[in-house]
Parts: sequence; structure tokens; C-alpha cells
Amino acid sequence: MAERLAIWGDVYRQYWRINVLTALEYRANFLVWFGFTFIYHATALIALWIILQEFPSMNGWNFPQMAFLYSLWMLAHSINNTLFLTVGDVPEHVREGEFDRVFVRPLNALFQIITTPQQIFPDELILALSLFVLATIWSGVTVDWWFVVFIPLIVMGGALIDFAINLVIATCSFWFVRVDALRWIAFQLEQEFTRYPISIYTKGVRLVLTFLLPFAFMNYFPATFFLDKAEDALHLSPFVGLATPLVGLVCFVLAYWFWIIGLNKYQGVGH
Amino acid sequence: MSLALPVYRFRLEPYLEFAKKAFAREATYRFEVFTNVGSLILRIYLMRMVWLALYAQNAAPQGIALHQILTYTVIALLMSLILEVDGTRMIREKLREGTIATDFMKPISPALYFFSDGLGQTLLHGILIVPSLLVALLMVHIDVPPPAALAAFAVSFVLGYLVNFMLNFCMNCVAFWTLESFAVQLIVRWCSDLLSGQIIPLLFFPGILQQIVLALPFAAIYSTPLLIYIGKIPPGGYVEALLVQVGWLLVFAAAGTVIWRAAQRRLVVQGG
Repeated sequence: MAERLAIWGDVYRQYWRINVLTALEYRANFLVWFGFTFIYHATALIALWIILQEFPSMNGWNFPQMAFLYSLWMLAHSINNTLFLTVGDVPEHVREGEFDRVFVRPLNALFQIITTPQQIFPDELILALSLFVLATIWSGVTVDWWFVVFIPLIVMGGALIDFAINLVIATCSFWFVRVDALRWIAFQLEQEFTRYPISIYTKGVRLVLTFLLPFAFMNYFPATFFLDKAEDALHLSPFVGLATPLVGLVCFVLAYWFWIIGLNKYQGVGH
Repeated sequence: MSLALPVYRFRLEPYLEFAKKAFAREATYRFEVFTNVGSLILRIYLMRMVWLALYAQNAAPQGIALHQILTYTVIALLMSLILEVDGTRMIREKLREGTIATDFMKPISPALYFFSDGLGQTLLHGILIVPSLLVALLMVHIDVPPPAALAAFAVSFVLGYLVNFMLNFCMNCVAFWTLESFAVQLIVRWCSDLLSGQIIPLLFFPGILQQIVLALPFAAIYSTPLLIYIGKIPPGGYVEALLVQVGWLLVFAAAGTVIWRAAQRRLVVQGG
């Protein structure tokens, strides 16, 4: 067991070495993409800021609170993007017939997928951390023991929710050749619907974002807890916000179980 | 490839064929078409809920009433079906693959070839407006302005389309120099979405920022036609608004010509 873990650790170290070296090799490219990431999040935040200049609040949320909401999502999302982004390539590997190589190597299939070298650099994560610190100061969240203990757990739970949903969508590609529509809808729900408190949506959408694609646990529920707000979307206890790590784990376990079923099915039909 | 570019007599038919080909090619990506409409509907729902929540607790700012902002948002999203088509992205793709060299050897004008291809793509995406509008009407009430405003909107939209097309053309030509221009183009796209008034009316920008964004060329793409549509630019202001758009179009057309000439020279040098 210890030996196995040592191998995994070694592979993972090598993987990051390659990533960082590639990023350093294509410096200009890296800078341009960093600019892109920055502008993407900046325009989203500026749009929120402009709206909240004209309107003092949205369902009781002012701009600093909305920035805190955004930064909590961004932190979880950027962890997912930094560690697990390559899961999104599975449908393409399957379509191109490149997926089979996963089976001939003596390593866990999912581990092989998330260690496929890419030009990943934790730039988005660094941006997210900076925004999170700023938004925490701005919105006047009390930084106490609850905050220090739970925020890291919540962010990791949020990243697991993101990862689990991407994994489920990727697994669907073992049955359907094209999963882009599914991916697109989940992507849009995650990127755009998490920008606002879910209490602005109709009941059905609130339920979907809580139970079916639980993006609300990435930021809305924890943010209402830490900002001492009444949870007026589903009228749940504010402590629901602390359930994110658990929700993340459950999502991951379910997604992994589905992934194993998908893998068996893929092998079963003798591709 | 020699510097002597082929001399030919201008005929329109080949370009009509190119446009038809592009139309047919885009039509085969049925799936993408479906996602486009689907994501548009999601966005209409989202923006409707956002504006409803904002207007529920606050007074109408800048004299823009709730029904006007909802109309603005839906029309902006329908316009984006056409305006988000990057008609000349083929330039970028062909440059990467190197096949652009053969286009310069054909007895056609490559620039016109790319334009007609872009036109064909735009026409196909334009058709999507019909089903999208029908679905949108189920979700939101859209104001219909008086005929004069509608006519001015149509002219302004065409001008906005051309400004956007030329802006994209210039950006795609950047690839002649850097080869990896996609990220730069995405950056310009995100900025343009915000600064052109596609997401939020430029009238909501505070103070000095508003004057700046209204003076930038991006305003000619979405803001001008949309403000005409919802009546924030009154009939007395049409001529001026349209002339400003024509001005920006001329600027970008001139820039495009200069860049294209330089690009042609550059390609010849690169290709030896």
C-alpha cells in the first residue's frame, strides 16, 4: 500500500514538473492566457459593480457581498480547473479512439486522466485567492474559528462538486458520442447562475441548483452563512452552508461509482 | 509563391457560391445550432430574473422602465446570434494550417472570399433568430417600437454588424504576425461584450465612465441600435447616431485595408 502511494506521489510530482516547465517554455502564450483569465473574471465583476451602482441591492445583497459570493465560487472553480481540468477531455479521447491506452497501463484510470500533461499553471487560483481576501475584507465577514476551519473545507467541497459533475458528464460519453450540449448547459448554469443569490430564481431552478446540480453549495449556502444572511431561497437553516464538504464528498462518490459503471460498459462491448 | 499576384477580371458569381457553401457548411453543424438556441434561452431566463429582482426593490434608474430593460436584453441576445459569428475566423485557421497560401494563388480576391464566406455563415445564424424569438416571446413581453424607430434600428443594426465584422477581421489578421491570436481575440471579445452595451445598457455606467464608453467604437455595435429600439435615442438623434456609426465603420475599414495589405506582403515574405 505504502509502495503504491509512493508511486502515485511520484507520478503526480512528475506531472506537475512537466506542467510548470511547459508553461515556462511558452511564456508569451502563458501571459496571454493569463490576461484572458483575468479579463474574463474582471468583466464579470465590473458588470456586477455597474449594476449595483444603479441599484443599491439585489434581494438584499450589496456589491461587496456579491463579490464575496463570486470569489467563493471562483476559488472552488479554480481549484477544480487546476487539479481536474483534463476530465473534460475524456469525450474527445473516446471519440478519437485514444481512450483505450488507459486500460493497458498499471494505474487507476481516473488518476491517469487527471495526470495527462497540459499547460496548466495555477494562475487562476492565485487570482481567486487575491479576490477572496479582498472580498472578505470588503464585505466585513467576521474571520473567526468557524471561518478558518470551514472555509478551506468548503472550498475543497465546492471543487469536488464541480469535479463530480464534470466527471458525470464525461462518463456519459461512454454511451453517447456527443455530450457537448450537456456540458454546455452545466457550464452555463455553473458560470452564470452562480453569480447571483439563487433566491432571485423561480422555485424549480432553485431546487435544481440545490439538489440536481448542487452548484448552490459552492457559494450561495456558505456565503449566506458567513454573511449572516437569512436563507430566503428555500428557507433552510443557515447551517446548511457548512454541509458543502459533505455534499462534495457524496457527489464525488456517486460520480466515481457512475464512472466505474461507464468504464466497465466501455470495456464490455470490446472497443 | 511569387510576388506577382494573379490578375483577373472581377466576377460576382464565385463569391455568391462561396457564401452558399459557407451557409451549407454551417447548416451541417446542427448540434451547435441547437446549443446556441438552448443557451440563449437559459440566458433570457437568467437576465429576466436578474432584472426582475433589481427592479422589485428599487426605482427605475436613468428613466429606463422594467419593460424597456427586458426588451433591451432580449433584443441584445437575439442580435448576438448574428454578431457573435466570427465570420473571418477562417483566416486564423487557414494561417495555422498553412493552406492560406493556395487561396492567394487562386484567381479570386482572398479578402472578398473571406467576406462572402462570413456572409454565408451570418445568414444561417440569422435564421436562428426566428425560433429564438418565438421562444423568447413565451417568456418575456417585448415592446415593438413605431415603424420609424424600427427602420432606424434596422439600418443601425446593419452598420453595427459591419463595424463588428471589420473589428473581427482586423483581429483575425493579427494572426499573420503572431500565429497564436485566439486568446487576444477572446480578450477583445469579452471587453467588447461589456463595452458595447450587450450585457448592460451603457446608460447604467456611472458618471465619467459612461461618457468614455459611449465615445468608444464598441458602442456602435450594440448600444446604438438598441437605444434606438427602446426609444432612448429619440427620432431627432437618429441622423447623428447613424453618422457616428458610419464614421467608425470607415475607420475600421481603413484599418482593415492597411492591415490586409501589410499582411499580404508579410505572407509572401514568410512563404519565401
